[in-house]
Amino acid sequence: MPRRHRLLGILGLAVRRVLGRLRTSSSKQVLLSVVGVALAVTLMTTVSGIALGMGAENAIQSEDVDYWVVPEASTASSVAVSVGSPQLGNTHEITARLDQDERVEYATPVQTQLVRLAPGDNESTDEFILAAGIIPPEEPTTVVGVPTDALEPGDPHYANGTYEGPRTGELVLNEAGAELLGVSAGDEVTAEVGNSRATFTVADVRQGDVSSGVGPVPVALVHLSELQTMTGSTSGDLADQLLVSTNTAGVKSDIERLYPRTSVVTQTGLAVRGASTSSLPLAMAAVSLTVAVLVGVLFVATMMGLEVNADRRNLAVLSAMGYRTGSQTLLVVAETVIVATIGGVVGVVTGIGGIFLTNALTQELLGVQVALFDPILVGYSVAVAAAIGLVSSVYPAWLTWRTPTLEAMSHD
Amino acid sequence: MADSVSEQRSRPAADAADPATALRCERVAREYSRGRDSLFSRGGDAPTVRALDGVSLSIATGEFVAIAGPSGSGKSTLLHLLAALDTPTTGDVTVAGTDVRSLSSRQRTTLRRDTIGIVFQHFHLLPALSARGNVALPLIERGVSKRDRRARADELLEQVGLGDRAGHKPGELSGGEQQRVAIARALVSDPAVLIADEPTGELDTETGQRVLDYIEQTASERAVVVATHDDHVIDRADRVIRLRDGIVVSDA
Repeated sequence: MPRRHRLLGILGLAVRRVLGRLRTSSSKQVLLSVVGVALAVTLMTTVSGIALGMGAENAIQSEDVDYWVVPEASTASSVAVSVGSPQLGNTHEITARLDQDERVEYATPVQTQLVRLAPGDNESTDEFILAAGIIPPEEPTTVVGVPTDALEPGDPHYANGTYEGPRTGELVLNEAGAELLGVSAGDEVTAEVGNSRATFTVADVRQGDVSSGVGPVPVALVHLSELQTMTGSTSGDLADQLLVSTNTAGVKSDIERLYPRTSVVTQTGLAVRGASTSSLPLAMAAVSLTVAVLVGVLFVATMMGLEVNADRRNLAVLSAMGYRTGSQTLLVVAETVIVATIGGVVGVVTGIGGIFLTNALTQELLGVQVALFDPILVGYSVAVAAAIGLVSSVYPAWLTWRTPTLEAMSHD
Repeated sequence: MADSVSEQRSRPAADAADPATALRCERVAREYSRGRDSLFSRGGDAPTVRALDGVSLSIATGEFVAIAGPSGSGKSTLLHLLAALDTPTTGDVTVAGTDVRSLSSRQRTTLRRDTIGIVFQHFHLLPALSARGNVALPLIERGVSKRDRRARADELLEQVGLGDRAGHKPGELSGGEQQRVAIARALVSDPAVLIADEPTGELDTETGQRVLDYIEQTASERAVVVATHDDHVIDRADRVIRLRDGIVVSDA
């Protein structure tokens, strides 16, 4: 019991000493330590937010979609890799089976393909646009940030796998795509993939959702079978991903049974998966962590070392009173960790501000938000700050250990 | 004077086994090596300074002893030894029956915690803590609960007439009040020995007298040793030990 009282007493003493020094600004070293850690943690939090954003925003997103079904060797986190990567087969049939399930609100395969589009028959002004082939559901939704309601529901050209049904020739462009091509609703465009050409009518131009994962990229939505016909994916009825919207978690196992060698990614798991499967965001987060820890430790160790030197008289007085070296060391370690943690809390607040500022800037300059704030960043950043304090306390603790008790009786 | 010095040096110390003897020095010498701590010193050949030379004395519980002498006479060195902050080069120092030389640094710290209260010339109160917090400081290391620390600190502050100033920070107290807080802090663990280093050195005469009153009040229960230049302290002490060049020149 006395040991517990001693421990709690020393920790309380550490808190009061640190707060006292901060309140009266009597110690520049303590203040600078807080500022140093705050700056390091601000940088780390902001960069980690950007890394999280980059990791999470590369998927083909659709409102209300709960599951992404992707081939095992592929990834849900990249639009670009879908070109030439493993694909799902028999997608119309599987989608139809899923649609029959009452628990499924809608399901649609998605095939993405870079398509050369030209307004009317003017091939000299053609542009590459990301086309997404889907089976538009009865209830309108949004795929790749573009609403599907302007497309005729279903996929009539598929015609039970014959690909001989009526061709709608409908195409919905987002604003970026329409602006690039200089077309509007009702205009005709010519699409070309390799040697295959087809004519589409712009059914509508819709405002794209910049947070959809493809940001301000020009996008066109078309019926899946009409894109498959152009890309040669009719044999095997191929698509890159399957989006499933449901309110029932149990559907996941059914989807996994329908596509045995696929990954079924949940919406909540996508951010984590995205972050973990993309090496750049991970590298960014790791570098920001390393820099924060290095800068923080060097800064705090130096500043708190100077602080111990300035405070050696008081430490010697504690020793003269009967405080053992271990107690003094514990006091200094606790003070260093508290100072770093306070810096961490300040850094988290300014770091969150940094995330929002980054988003505001990129929204203004690029039309897309790149950073993501996740509450876990708060715990992560404060924990890193506390760790910085703990590691950097070694130096001030060593100086404390060397402080001679007789310093207390010095008269100068 | 030479006879007097010779007499003092050969004067036998009191019996350490006597329970009334709180402090005892026997043929104590303390030497310091000049430049020994220097980064470039080689040690061994460094010249030494003898701060104390063959000091023998004993101080009983209930005695109020003043140690007087000019600067450089060895007062502070003797005080360090009696407070178990330092160990003698030769000779024995006994505090409350414990031979200081035989103790490790950690054991000497424990001895100070349990047996010795120290009052510093410059008070040395922690600025971040209130008067109560400063008085309670030694009790933290003793593992006393927060409630008991607070109660004991308030009791001591009442005794030194600062019951109504318990919540004030040192910066809000006068010099005399700060020194009374320092005295309360030194006494909070009820030590057998109270060591005071120039306790009135920073105070005006009237405030100094009041501080001395408090020190005097506690002397009946413990040995009180005060290093001083102040004639007022010397006048009020039961006994005055005068030092010169590290030697006791009078003890009366």
